[in-house]
Amino acid sequence: MEQPVQTETWKARSLEELVRILHQIFAEDKVSVEEVQALMESYESNPDEWLQYAKFDQYRYTRNLVDNGNGKFNLMILCWGEGHGSSIHDHTDSHCFMKILQGNLKETLFEWPEKKGNGEMTKKSERVLRENQCAYINDSIGLHRVENISHTEPAVSLHLYSPPFNSCNTFDQRTGHKHKVTMTFYSQFGERTVC
Amino acid sequence: LPAGLSQWFPALEVLDVSGTGLTEMGTELLSLPCLHTLLAKNNRLGGPGSLPKGLGQAPVARSLRVLNLSGNRFSEVPPALLQLRGLRSLSLGGNRLQGIPPDIQELHSLEFLYLGGNFITAIPPELAKLPSLRYLVLCDNKIQSIPPQLAQLHSLRSLSLHNNLLTYLPQEILNLVHLDELSLRGNPLVVRFVRDLTYNPPSLQELAGRTVKTRNIPYTPSDLPESLVRYLSLASNCPNPKCGGVYFDSCVRQIKFVDFCGKYRLPLMHYLCSPECSSPFSSASQSSTSQSESDSEDEASVAAHRMQKVLLG
Repeated sequence: MEQPVQTETWKARSLEELVRILHQIFAEDKVSVEEVQALMESYESNPDEWLQYAKFDQYRYTRNLVDNGNGKFNLMILCWGEGHGSSIHDHTDSHCFMKILQGNLKETLFEWPEKKGNGEMTKKSERVLRENQCAYINDSIGLHRVENISHTEPAVSLHLYSPPFNSCNTFDQRTGHKHKVTMTFYSQFGERTVC
Repeated sequence: LPAGLSQWFPALEVLDVSGTGLTEMGTELLSLPCLHTLLAKNNRLGGPGSLPKGLGQAPVARSLRVLNLSGNRFSEVPPALLQLRGLRSLSLGGNRLQGIPPDIQELHSLEFLYLGGNFITAIPPELAKLPSLRYLVLCDNKIQSIPPQLAQLHSLRSLSLHNNLLTYLPQEILNLVHLDELSLRGNPLVVRFVRDLTYNPPSLQELAGRTVKTRNIPYTPSDLPESLVRYLSLASNCPNPKCGGVYFDSCVRQIKFVDFCGKYRLPLMHYLCSPECSSPFSSASQSSTSQSESDSEDEASVAAHRMQKVLLG
């Protein structure tokens, strides 16, 4: 993505409008990271609009596909029960936007491990993202772990990945060893997918 | 709880009083015979009168299936709670619990137990007596070790242990065949070989007991005092497959690293009957120098294959 000639300042007044504007933006050859991040942040989370996608699992966080962006991007809703977290992972050369729709998520950034590394991975920074905030990451920025550290509140987040990908690497924090994993959807377009 | 609640809504099934500043749940709770879900998170419960007297005998004790008391001020699990025989799901996350009472085993229908975010230092082996437990959350506590009996939780599908004070795990953890999720990050797991040098030599009683067992010397209850018959029944088998011996009280603690196919290396702890038994596992290096080492590495790696997809690093 590079800077286009002019950057629009969007305001998405509903989830439906957000999706519509995303389709519009991604129809262009060039898409600006700042533009997408601002657009995602402009949408004020309204549970009535996304509750149908927010399917929780007792044991781990879920990925629920909302829109497949004509192949240009994947928009999905992730549901995190109390204490649920992800492993440290990369983003397979794609752009990743993460917006909080409900609750809070802690994001911990890590450096890429050394090629022949066999030691503890280096933490770069951590922050707690609040409702409606939108974070951005890609492989050149680093790796991250996302977790719901609340023991009382579930969390819901909206993710946009471009280009779409269905496999990535997870990393062992203690050794830096990586392992390829395939990701699946818990539901697609509001329907539970049984795999 | 508002007075008259059970009179106006006798058929109440779900009650959510979360975030209301509640300091105690009154007797109104006792007369709600259809109540199956009670959500009371983020309140000020935790003092002596938090749960009403007579809870165990009330109709609600049989009907209640889901109880969420997370985000309160409980410093111990209230004994009255253990009388809720039909309870399937219990959350006490984000309280001030210092421990788990052994009587937790009374909640024999429990499938979901969330105790994350407390100050728990130890896990009672009685927790393993919950036959239906599928999801156990113990993250963000101060737990130093896992009792090997936890491997008896045959229904366990998800175990959350991250952010505790664990340095190793009991080898028996590999027996949890149905485990789909295991989180261990944020524990000071040992990364180098650790040999416990404090080996107490066996007593004469222990040596005699070992001989009786390994030589299969026959005995009947009339041959020996009852205390010795009981002692002989407590023999543990040395896990070293080349040994085949037994031990009673005198054993060497050994930490063996199990490599989950290059993905993770977990320190697993087991007991061996003597320092001689421990020497085949004495190095964390890759080269096998003895048959017994490669044999036990094989059996460990079979179990490791099963667990490798389970670990969340």
